[in-house]
Amino acid sequence: MIEVVLNDRLGKKVRVKCNEDDTIGDLKKLVAAQTGTRAEKIRIQKWYNIYKNHITLKDYEIHDGMGLELYYD
Amino acid sequence: MANRTDPAAKSIRGTNPQNLVEKILRSKIYQNTYWKEQCFGLTAETLVDKAMELDHLGGTHGGNRKPTPFMCLVMKMLQIQPEKEIVIEFIKNDDYKYVRILGAFYLRLTGTDVDVYRYLEPLYNDYRKLRQKLPEGKFSLTHVDEVIDELLTKDYSCDIALPRIKKRWTLETLGSLEPRRSVLEDDFEEEEEKEENDQLDGLEEEAHEKDYYRGRSPARERDRDRRRDRDRYRERDYDRDYDRDYDRERGRGRDRDRDRERDRDRDRDRDRDRDRDRYRLRDEKDYGRDRERDREWEGRERERRDRDRGRRRSHSRSRSRSKDRKDREGGEHRKRHARSSTSPRRRDGAEENGTREEPKKKKERKEKKEDGTDHPDPEIAEANRLRASLGLKPLK
Repeated sequence: MIEVVLNDRLGKKVRVKCNEDDTIGDLKKLVAAQTGTRAEKIRIQKWYNIYKNHITLKDYEIHDGMGLELYYD
Repeated sequence: MANRTDPAAKSIRGTNPQNLVEKILRSKIYQNTYWKEQCFGLTAETLVDKAMELDHLGGTHGGNRKPTPFMCLVMKMLQIQPEKEIVIEFIKNDDYKYVRILGAFYLRLTGTDVDVYRYLEPLYNDYRKLRQKLPEGKFSLTHVDEVIDELLTKDYSCDIALPRIKKRWTLETLGSLEPRRSVLEDDFEEEEEKEENDQLDGLEEEAHEKDYYRGRSPARERDRDRRRDRDRYRERDYDRDYDRDYDRERGRGRDRDRDRERDRDRDRDRDRDRDRDRYRLRDEKDYGRDRERDREWEGRERERRDRDRGRRRSHSRSRSRSKDRKDREGGEHRKRHARSSTSPRRRDGAEENGTREEPKKKKERKEKKEDGTDHPDPEIAEANRLRASLGLKPLK
């Protein structure tokens, strides 16, 4: 179980607990549940790499406490 | 400026009509080539020509969320705001189904509650196929009545948040609308007269629970006929939405049973109960459709329909259980010939096996619940509850 921090630099900073084998799509659903946006509207990036929905956090090497950027589509 | 709303246009729901589409999506549409090239200077008449050329519907797709031409035309309609008569003409026209859907979508966004129900419900009888573009970029098969159902029951479609409209039963109590009459109703009036009381009550109780659960009106005080009509309407909506949201929780192991039951259904006698009859009629239509679908489209829609049928069967589970076991072998054999691909199950197979193995391993792991919602740490229990509601496995 890891905890990921997502920040959209406009005031929304959210810590989400998830498994390493969760996909980015699952993470988006969890974030949507916490922030209230729709999961389809969320885009998770790290610098210019947009993270794809079907790849797991483990494959993206997202570790505990790591910060990701939260954008909206 | 090309992107300004027509100055003579009325404000919709208190705001510029174009604001019905949210900011990010709006900017994406303005930057889209289709918008810039084709949608410049369109009037209501030329819009019809463009609408006739449509061949799919959808919201945004792809990595950078590119809008579909359907979206651009919706935006254009919001911008020029054609009159209600024109929109109704769009809906009434029978030849071009995408024009119909375009009109229906626009009406759903801008029309009053009564208008929405009045003009969109006749479209429930349209069973034509539609091509829908998914957010991943692939196409999927859907039907006109499915889309209308989405428009009337959900609050989000094609990447646009649909404005809130009053629920149908509110309008019925106000007297603005007649109770819903389905086109299939006459067929079932004879069946209803033959029914046993306890059968009806048993079904209605379940339907009531689910109605109640979905926050619709408590139906108990209404008279039976109206209740029946509404329940039928609700069950239909309920089935579709319920399936989509909850099928993961209900467990996919039942799918196999449902498939077998589905084949068996065609032989079942009509007197049994109205729901099965209604859905059996639908099944026969679906079966014809399914053959084409198997050949052309991915299995996702098919699986959803399987689940639809499966969920409906669950109402009569108690009655059919003994038969279920008897017919399992025969049904499975038939099922293998009727349905070719099992690839959609691949995605579910892992989860299905996971939830099935977990009960066995329960005692070893000493977990009382599968999804860990009774974890000693309250934060984790809370997180697991959320995950279970989203259909995810618990935290490790």
